[in-house]
Amino acid sequence: MFRILKKSLKTGVVTGRHPRATQPSEPLTPEVLKKAAAFNRSLTIREVDTGSCNACEMEMNALTNPVYDVERFGIHIAASPRHADALVVTGPVTVNMERALKDVHKQTPDPKLVIALGDCAINCGAFKGSYAVTGPVDRHIPVDVRIPGCPPRPADILKALTDIQKRPLPA
Amino acid sequence: MAETRSCDAELTAAFPSIVQRDTTQREFSHFLVSKDLLPAITRYLHTRQGLHGRLTLLWAVDNRPARNTYGLHYLFTLEPSHRWVLLSTELAGDDRLFPSITPHIHAAQWYEREIRDMFGLIPQGHPDLRRLVRHEHWPKGTHPLKKDFPWDHILGRQHGEHRFRRIEGEGVFEVPVGPIHAGIIEPGHFRFSVAGEPIMQLELHHFWTHRGVEKLFEQQPLAAAVPLAERISGDTTIGHSLAYCQAVESLLHLEIPRRGRYLRSLFLELERLHNHLGDVGAICNDTAYALPHAHCSRMKEQMMQLNDRLTGSRFLRSVNRVGGVALDLTAAQLVEIVAELDRIEQDFSELESIIAHNASLIDRLETTGVLTERTAWDHAVVGVVGRASGLDQDLRRDRPFAAYDELPVKVVNYRYGDVRARMRVRMDEIHESMRLIREIRLKVPQGPVAVESSRKAQAGEWALSAVEGWRGEILYMVMAGENGTIQRCKVRDPSFVNWPAIQWAVIGNIIPDFPLINKSFNLSYAGNDL
Repeated sequence: MFRILKKSLKTGVVTGRHPRATQPSEPLTPEVLKKAAAFNRSLTIREVDTGSCNACEMEMNALTNPVYDVERFGIHIAASPRHADALVVTGPVTVNMERALKDVHKQTPDPKLVIALGDCAINCGAFKGSYAVTGPVDRHIPVDVRIPGCPPRPADILKALTDIQKRPLPA
Repeated sequence: MAETRSCDAELTAAFPSIVQRDTTQREFSHFLVSKDLLPAITRYLHTRQGLHGRLTLLWAVDNRPARNTYGLHYLFTLEPSHRWVLLSTELAGDDRLFPSITPHIHAAQWYEREIRDMFGLIPQGHPDLRRLVRHEHWPKGTHPLKKDFPWDHILGRQHGEHRFRRIEGEGVFEVPVGPIHAGIIEPGHFRFSVAGEPIMQLELHHFWTHRGVEKLFEQQPLAAAVPLAERISGDTTIGHSLAYCQAVESLLHLEIPRRGRYLRSLFLELERLHNHLGDVGAICNDTAYALPHAHCSRMKEQMMQLNDRLTGSRFLRSVNRVGGVALDLTAAQLVEIVAELDRIEQDFSELESIIAHNASLIDRLETTGVLTERTAWDHAVVGVVGRASGLDQDLRRDRPFAAYDELPVKVVNYRYGDVRARMRVRMDEIHESMRLIREIRLKVPQGPVAVESSRKAQAGEWALSAVEGWRGEILYMVMAGENGTIQRCKVRDPSFVNWPAIQWAVIGNIIPDFPLINKSFNLSYAGNDL
């Protein structure tokens, strides 16, 4: 017990000890902001890997570590698409995952956002054209937000996700 | 060398009809074998006392259009001497059948099914000829690695359903899991058969993330395919790119400068560190002990930020290149690495004692998911998982590459094969990697970090390369094509051989322990599926 307390006291608060986001994120369209407003500045995410190399998954996982601690912004990772406000899709959509992606999209309740994370999800990256790849995510389901990078750094992902939470400007 | 010759002599004495190829240029013995002799000779290599051959790689090559044949190659590692023996055979003309060796070498199971899917060659006598890589909805007759199959072919869709092995009886249930899982992990399907809580059978249905990597390699020039190798399994960027570069370098007869080799070892150990740190925490987290997970993921983050400061990439992308490494580290940066590692080692040691003093955690880890040494050997299991099950193997010691011929590695070994053993292998390897990096800083010589190549590889030349990545042995076979292209690139991630073994490690355990066992293996889906 004392060992654990001592360790926690010695470590202190590490949240926020990371380099700032460097990559300018894509401006969000008013429609996306309007849709996101329904979530009241909270966002529950279901992550779907449709053929990624696991680097984007590792960076998504990094968001939940104490340094980025994404939960403090009201962003949660859900275990089921039925609990999700947003789908984060990584990887080019492989022939074998195409059906699963469409299913998961159907299972997610409306209104929902689809976020394409990483170059592969946006334009198939290094796997473009392969017989086993059916195309980027937006060929199969409508994509609202794109976060480029191979893989994007956690700080960039965090910036893009918190941008979604901003209130739309009054018309 | 004397030992090697005696092995070769023994083999030619036992099978007089095989032909030994001249391999004075290579680091292994090579025999040409007729296909009918394959089962007998592989069995001899595998079971013979004193040879004890472990199937290390099995690959096929479509030799068209140059010759109308398919080549099949069986690579064995002889356990006592760690010597490689390669058996090659050819299927000429319209011959599509080859004898399966799976009935007596379990480790060949997935390789042979993969060859059937990718080349349309049929392993006769294989006990399980269901599709592996190609899911059932792929049209009949699709074999992507055949030379007449266009790389950008658009696949049709047929109706089909995967047939799982069924256990039937009163109270037996099937639990399907995946392909999309509850956590942030890659897709894969697991089918459990349970009676009550204990698992009676687990069957894997993978290859959801198959992206056609081996075919994509064939569209790239030899020198420019490193970025693709880096993206096979994102967490093993250095392991895969290093194995690829080494294979190409031996095709081009490049001698890598010593400083380049030392830096490669350094980056490989950095990659091992951030992955092992994350795994130790994740294993604890799967027993619902969140505290070590929080500390470990913080340390992992520190390591990845260090990677970012050193190379501009958190995953060490674009570090390796054909001929050496793409960037040099200054003396100040080496000092920075060692200082950061000193802090993390102190930090991690404190955490280790917290973990070791938690009786309920240890109780959960011990005797969970036991992979016996015998099963591990039968499936030719490699890397962390093998070392936790008593298999004393590590390429850094057994077949030194990069700078490991000058950096002796203390190989970690545990016998029990349970989750705790796998965690302890990782913990000990963390300390060993840190020690190696300190040694590298003291020993690293001055000089260039890369060389340029002047030679062109001839079409049909090929090379093998092996790297001990953080998961285990990564193997590459690269065959050059015309004008600096790639004729064939066989990639084998350690996950490909370790996945089938997990089916045996879970039997008798309860389903709630499966995530824990799976995490202690921590295998790649993308590297397996290619």
